[in-house]
Amino acid sequence: MANNVFDVSVFFIVFRETLEASIIISVLLAFLKQGVGRSSEDPLLYKRLVKHVWVGSAIGLFCCLVIGGAFIGTWYSLGRDIWGSAEDIYEGVFCLIATIIISIMGLAMLRLNKLKEKWRVKIAEALEERNHYGKGWFGRFSRKYAMAILPLITILREGVEAIVFVGGVSLSSPAKAFPLPVICGLAGGILIGYLMYKGGDFVKIQFFLIVATCFLYLVGAGLFSKAVWYLEFYKWVQLVGDGAAESGTGAGSYDIRKSVWHVNCCDPENDGGWMIFNALFGWQNSATYGSVISYNIYWIAVMVAVLLFLYKEKNGYYPGLKSWTLKRDAKKVAKRRAKMEARRAEAAAAAGEEYEETKTASV
Amino acid sequence: MRFSLVAALAAVSGVLAKTVQYDMTIEWVDANPDNAYERKLIGVNGVWPPPVIECDIYDRVIVNVTNNLGEPTSIHFHGLYQNTTAYMDGPVHVTQCPIPDGSNFIYNFTVDQPGTYWYHSHYTAQYPDGFRAPFIVYDPDEPFADDYDVDTYLTVADYYHDSAPWLLKNKFLTLANPTGSEPIPDNGLLNETQDYKFLVEPNTTYKIRIINIGALVSQYIWFEGHEFDVVEVDGIYVEPYTTDRIYVTVAQRYTILLTTKNSTDTNYPFMTSFDTDMLDTIPDDLMWNVTGWLTYDEDGDFPDAAVIDEWVFLDDFELVPVEKETPYEPDTTITVSVSMNNLDDGVNYAFFNDITYVAPKVPTLYTVMSSGNQSTDATIYGSNTNAFVLEHNDVVEIVLNNADPGKHPFHLHGHVFQVIERSEASASDDDYIVYDSSNPGTVNEYPMRRDTVYIRPNGYFVIRFKADNPGVWFFHCHIEWHLEQGLALTLIEAPLEMQKWTIPEDHYAACKAGGYEYEGNAAGNTVDLTDLTGEPVQPVELPAGFTTKGVVAMVFSCIAAFVGMAFITWYGLSELKTTEHQVAEIMGEIPLDDESSGSK
Repeated sequence: MANNVFDVSVFFIVFRETLEASIIISVLLAFLKQGVGRSSEDPLLYKRLVKHVWVGSAIGLFCCLVIGGAFIGTWYSLGRDIWGSAEDIYEGVFCLIATIIISIMGLAMLRLNKLKEKWRVKIAEALEERNHYGKGWFGRFSRKYAMAILPLITILREGVEAIVFVGGVSLSSPAKAFPLPVICGLAGGILIGYLMYKGGDFVKIQFFLIVATCFLYLVGAGLFSKAVWYLEFYKWVQLVGDGAAESGTGAGSYDIRKSVWHVNCCDPENDGGWMIFNALFGWQNSATYGSVISYNIYWIAVMVAVLLFLYKEKNGYYPGLKSWTLKRDAKKVAKRRAKMEARRAEAAAAAGEEYEETKTASV
Repeated sequence: MRFSLVAALAAVSGVLAKTVQYDMTIEWVDANPDNAYERKLIGVNGVWPPPVIECDIYDRVIVNVTNNLGEPTSIHFHGLYQNTTAYMDGPVHVTQCPIPDGSNFIYNFTVDQPGTYWYHSHYTAQYPDGFRAPFIVYDPDEPFADDYDVDTYLTVADYYHDSAPWLLKNKFLTLANPTGSEPIPDNGLLNETQDYKFLVEPNTTYKIRIINIGALVSQYIWFEGHEFDVVEVDGIYVEPYTTDRIYVTVAQRYTILLTTKNSTDTNYPFMTSFDTDMLDTIPDDLMWNVTGWLTYDEDGDFPDAAVIDEWVFLDDFELVPVEKETPYEPDTTITVSVSMNNLDDGVNYAFFNDITYVAPKVPTLYTVMSSGNQSTDATIYGSNTNAFVLEHNDVVEIVLNNADPGKHPFHLHGHVFQVIERSEASASDDDYIVYDSSNPGTVNEYPMRRDTVYIRPNGYFVIRFKADNPGVWFFHCHIEWHLEQGLALTLIEAPLEMQKWTIPEDHYAACKAGGYEYEGNAAGNTVDLTDLTGEPVQPVELPAGFTTKGVVAMVFSCIAAFVGMAFITWYGLSELKTTEHQVAEIMGEIPLDDESSGSK
């Protein structure tokens, strides 16, 4: 998006990834509080483990920033010179990539509680796993610092995801459009994660998230419309040649056959205020059938997606996929049961051993 | 004009006026004038270029045309007054129907004016494909008859490799050309060839009739090392004006007297050079300077032309006719403004006062012949022909304001006109110099007269002529591309006088053979001449701002966005209910076994 100071898609991506990372950390800390902190026997252990979480997070974050900076830096110095006459095609494709990424991650933001629960489960499983890391030095190290490694890996993963996505959506923005949305995204994500940790007013958070998601999809719709518009504009410039550039916003700058509306002002390419309108809503002073219809199709797709997800959440499967889903879920359940049985058997066997070891240590 | 007096004088002086006949079969001929591209050009009787028509003053000329081109055609004899024979003038849909393929058509008229003229097709985008040649009228009584030794001509032209109708349809009048960029010529020609060697004797005076028979570019012409005298322009004798460079627009003629040097040491290049201001782009491989040589010695050196620093050339406004007239006092004024703009089909058109010329169903002259008393009502000639009715013997003034940053050569059929004023170009494209009759510019004591004159960018000119030649006269820009963009208007001069004539049968036969209507108003309506329903009109204007379609699209999109956001909100709020249910499930499904973590 050709927004010069605040790239909206960058903001949303960073916000979303930060949110997920901070939820994971808040879940982890909640675990420790619940599980370890309740024990008045070992406040030092609790504090140490909490420190592990923060240190791990900090290292992860630092690595991310380094990787991110390097990546964006090289991406930029390499990527920007290759446009030439295909510039409009690149712009169109970037908009398309951006809208796909945004659209996919958007609705998930409204299921943060689900996210939280998913992570509770995963972390529980991971904590369970650490008993089975093995006897080697790596196994012992991992067990000891599990509370640090987990957030570190999580943040690294979320962070690199964010970096790649950001790189994907923002090749068309100038470099100075980066710092502000990244900072805002980080701040927003951390804030929400903190509030979730504190168990704050869930309803208020949810409303905020709903508003944020609405904006997200407005931007996504605009981007989709712009992608189509850029591709159509490319074809027009190929047909007319230099004349299109000369004509500014007047006759000749657009294809009359495909035009739905055209006003000789309010051009987002040149006019600051209208540029923001374009970034948020995909406004064009010269709209085509393609750009208008694609805008509406996007919203229809969003509505259909919402209907599908609601159906799934109510019934456990997507419409038409009942038998397939049930089969798959049965398989999953069977797998989990088998794992649990195995662990119980191991635990029973190990308990004898472990029990002996701890006894030895305390003597 | 003093035609009848002149004819009487001719009779009295015993000049034997003869008849000169040319039988012309118009057909495609293979040719390659610039030695770069073999193509078909329009030739006559199997030969290209078409023959030079020559006659003496007061002769009758008959051109018997057989059209073998496979498409319609017509011939206009540029600069001839066609007094009492306006139906022989040639522009299609103005004075005649197009001559269909396979048809025969006879042009028959007397020539009562001396000088240098030319003839060319006046059918859509046809003459640039080679149908153009000089028409020379010899006059034993010319004022400088004793001042020269050899009488010859020199044509200069721009030249396209592609056929003009193809360029018109695919490159020019299309929405892929919204700025109205004229097609760029591929080359220039001197006497329809290149590397022209003009064999000359030393110490001889040549009368060279220079004619620009091109389609677009004006040309600077000069002969290195030689000065010359301009003695005639567009058939009007002028007081000899010594210069070394002239600027000739398309369709203009300049006759010069050039005296060669004493010695035959070396040959001298002479140049015709495009006015590249008129080209929107200049391709790298375009040779816009065309060189010929005054060849004193065929075995001698042929040096290259020297580079010029700046263009200094004769301003034709300063020429003084031999037959001096003071400026006429106008009886009526027609004020028009030239502009170019895009219409609803995305194509760039040219306008006189917001009307772009669209040819009527019935040629305007035939409307005059079939409209009786109503012929003085300009509306019957159509809403898109820019028609003006002129009273017999009125002095007509045309004020032309150029709201376009281009130089245009305007040509009036059937007359020469006094060039009363011509402004300088305006300094900027946003600033027009408009004629203000209360604040006139420079007017010469004896204004120059000619039939084709250029206007400067964003400036104006004022011309005057006497409407003493009944006929339907086309007034238009002579750049072929601009004519096809509609930069033309129609003058109907003394229609009641015209109705005394009889149109030859073969002219109407051409209409019938081609399926054209030849009676009635511009819409072909013979019953009610004021009813123009069905007349050809220009495309509508581009919509400015939001049309119904746009408003509907915008409203629909906004509704889609709001409904979409409502769905999102619904999804967000519904989590409050389902999550608890799900969490319980998950918890029940897999107990979080802190007990086996070993940290207790």
